[in-house]
Amino acid sequence: MKLNKKNNCSIFLTAGYPQLNSAPKLVEELENAGIDFIELGIPFSDPLADGPVIQETSTIALNNGMTIDVLFEQVAEIKMNSALPIVLMGYFNPIYTYGVEKFLKQCKALGVDGLIIPDLEIDIYEFEYKALFETYDIPLIFLITTATPVDRIRRVEKMSKAFIYLVSSSATTGAKASFSKGQIQAFERIKALNLKVPIMVGFGIHNNETYRTVCNLFDGAIIGTAYLKSIANKVSTKAFVADIIG
Amino acid sequence: MDLIKPLQSLKVRIMLIKVCGLSEESEITELANSGIDMLGFIFHKASRRNLNYDEAKGAFIRNLACEKVGVFVNEEFDYILQTGFYFSLTHVQLHGNESPGMVQALSRYFKVIKAFSIHSKFDFRVCDLYPSADLLLFDTKGDLAGGNGTQFDWKLLDSYQGDIPFLLSGGIGKNDVKAIKEMNHPFFEGIDVNSKFEIEPSRKNIPEIKTFMEELNKSISKTRKGYYGEFGGAYIPELLYNPVQELETAFERIKTNEEFKSKFKHLLRDYVGRPTPLYFSNKLSEKHDATIFLKREDLNHTGAHKINNTIGQILLAKEMGKTNIIAETGAGQHGVATATVCALMGLDCTVFMGTVDMERQKPNVQRMKMLGAKVVPAESGSKTLKDATNEAIRYWINNPSTFYVIGSVVGPHPYPEMVAHFQSVISEEMRFQLQEKTQKMNPDIIVACVGGGSNAAGAFYHYLEEDAVALYCVEAAGLGIDSGKSAATSHLGTVGIIHGSKSLVMQTDNGQIIEPHSISAGLDYPGIGPLHAHLIKSGRAKSIAVTDAEAIKAGLDLTRIEGIIPALESAHALAALDKIELKNKTVVVNLSGRGDKDLETYLTKLNLAENEIE
Ligand SMILES: Cc1ncc(COP(=O)(O)O)c(C=O)c1O
Repeated sequence: MKLNKKNNCSIFLTAGYPQLNSAPKLVEELENAGIDFIELGIPFSDPLADGPVIQETSTIALNNGMTIDVLFEQVAEIKMNSALPIVLMGYFNPIYTYGVEKFLKQCKALGVDGLIIPDLEIDIYEFEYKALFETYDIPLIFLITTATPVDRIRRVEKMSKAFIYLVSSSATTGAKASFSKGQIQAFERIKALNLKVPIMVGFGIHNNETYRTVCNLFDGAIIGTAYLKSIANKVSTKAFVADIIG
Repeated sequence: MDLIKPLQSLKVRIMLIKVCGLSEESEITELANSGIDMLGFIFHKASRRNLNYDEAKGAFIRNLACEKVGVFVNEEFDYILQTGFYFSLTHVQLHGNESPGMVQALSRYFKVIKAFSIHSKFDFRVCDLYPSADLLLFDTKGDLAGGNGTQFDWKLLDSYQGDIPFLLSGGIGKNDVKAIKEMNHPFFEGIDVNSKFEIEPSRKNIPEIKTFMEELNKSISKTRKGYYGEFGGAYIPELLYNPVQELETAFERIKTNEEFKSKFKHLLRDYVGRPTPLYFSNKLSEKHDATIFLKREDLNHTGAHKINNTIGQILLAKEMGKTNIIAETGAGQHGVATATVCALMGLDCTVFMGTVDMERQKPNVQRMKMLGAKVVPAESGSKTLKDATNEAIRYWINNPSTFYVIGSVVGPHPYPEMVAHFQSVISEEMRFQLQEKTQKMNPDIIVACVGGGSNAAGAFYHYLEEDAVALYCVEAAGLGIDSGKSAATSHLGTVGIIHGSKSLVMQTDNGQIIEPHSISAGLDYPGIGPLHAHLIKSGRAKSIAVTDAEAIKAGLDLTRIEGIIPALESAHALAALDKIELKNKTVVVNLSGRGDKDLETYLTKLNLAENEIE
């Protein structure tokens, strides 16, 4: 997938939430609202890097019967009707248990545009899985934080094929303060590295202000918790996106 | 306490190294002793490295215990067979135009390596014709069959789509370390070196080979550090990379530091009350017709083995200048031990505990509060140890400068190694105590309960390499292994990732973690430490499952016959004695903790039982 414009806006949603089959319809709404690409979350029983909102949606999704196979069916449906890039995001255990190669093969067949696996650590990826990902030509999108050492960021830059996911702060998902001066300075240090790969910022983007801030510095923003909350609060997708993008 | 060595030898080897074209006995011996995986001998008259041998050399090679490869070029089947048997080769490597049928025929007697010469027009589909080969070897095409000392373009290997692992060969020298490390083909198994490490044909430059091996293994062992066989590692979100790295560096520093060791020992002796006794139980011994000792970890300050580890980790936290300590707890023993040491050292303490456990281990919740710790209820999932651990990890992500004291040999590297290191004092004491009492170096059997596995790791540690000592991990079967209400991870689990390490995990077919059940809060966990997963999978340790009811009974029995009320966790280890052949054996049961915290559970069952009798 190529991100060659500015101000990309991506939405994360937990597949299987609020209903088992909600994703295709939500994606259609998001596409109509002008979103640039979608992250579909594969629910996991023990999502370590997530705050209460995403935990809750994952539990509901699992209770609704969401599995990787069901998700793939939904991706196929989405891909039939839409050209929107789809990135899948999930913890490593369900993917490992499904079979990494089988998973990648399916992703390739369905035209999945990238994967985010927050707990597949870089060394482990490089050592055990990189070759397999390259065989199936599925880009893995790495997370970095503002505290990630520069040589490690450079390694990530070399291995990245789609974009780099910059985690806005040291926190699980769902934090919702505005960015502190220190955070902005840390962003500027990353910006100064002039990475050759686009950077999308996620975790804690929840309104127009935070969205603007990161778009001014980087290539776009990823919004998760705020969107899932808006679903629970019955806010329309169109209104939500308009509010964020401004 | 330089106790890390036995664990390191359990690591997997990950790149295979073969040295080919050998002849000199002294060189062969040295290579065999230095960890080279395969030694290669060439049986090809046209080669400058053709093996010249006599009766004595034949016998010498026959007696080598390592993997021995004979290299042949278009020889008759009978000749290869005879040569192979004569030298008792483990592998034959075929370098000519040998047919798939020949490979298949030979594969009945040896492992077969089929070699191919690679050039820009080479069609890798040819490899598919040799499904009975164990390994392939990709060499450079040149004038001489069997090795030319030049390299081919390794990029060509991208077209190899087969699934037989291969060795890379042809002109590999000491300057290729980097390129080899960057090889990322999924079926790249190792390398074959020869002429680039020679003084003259067949005379190897041994020091250079050794340096080369070290170079190769250096960065590899770095990435693979923290593995026990296939288990372990650090499967952590990037948010935890710095804190885990910082911890690893600090742990490496104190592991062998004399000043740290002396502080640790001092506190274990004067504050915890170590060494704990190795108590000979007459009654249990009579009952089982064996010599049975109880290692009395219940007599530690705070009532369980957990404090060995919290003293170590919190001393380390102090060294690192940390002021905030967090911990998860199941039975509350680890929480109490953490709160205790934090009180001692003047540090802030927050303990995460599932609400189900807060209810069933109330006395420990009260102790933690009294000690000044904040107890944070974990409400998600099954509201037990797994969920408390999730919450602690999330808190750590949100507060990366905190020190997270994990209570068992679980979690990302370096935790399993570090916790085992601090708990290894248990078997360190057992060694001299047992010798004092029985004049025997080793027990025949060690039995310990396993939640995450820290008390078992401590009790097994110094015996891991003594194969004559049988090790038993006792798991909680809950209402029965197949009842759907169980925590018998090694029986029910499959390979997966839990709390940052690869291990055995109780999970659904979809990779969702299953909520376990045990009457004992300390064993109520759907995972098991990676060390134990490896010990059990490799057959070094056996695992036994004990039900709630069996554990209660064993706990009540010990109370009445020895006047010792064991923790419900430890009661599982005692109940396992009925399931092991003990006759005439010397046995140590690790009595990991005392049962004060479990009185309510015990008494409820006792009343029930006595009412039934009435
Ligand atoms: C007394 C006692 N024994 C055993 C355990 C189980 O832990 P591990 O397997 O790490 O020794 C616990 C845990 O809380 C415990 O309190």
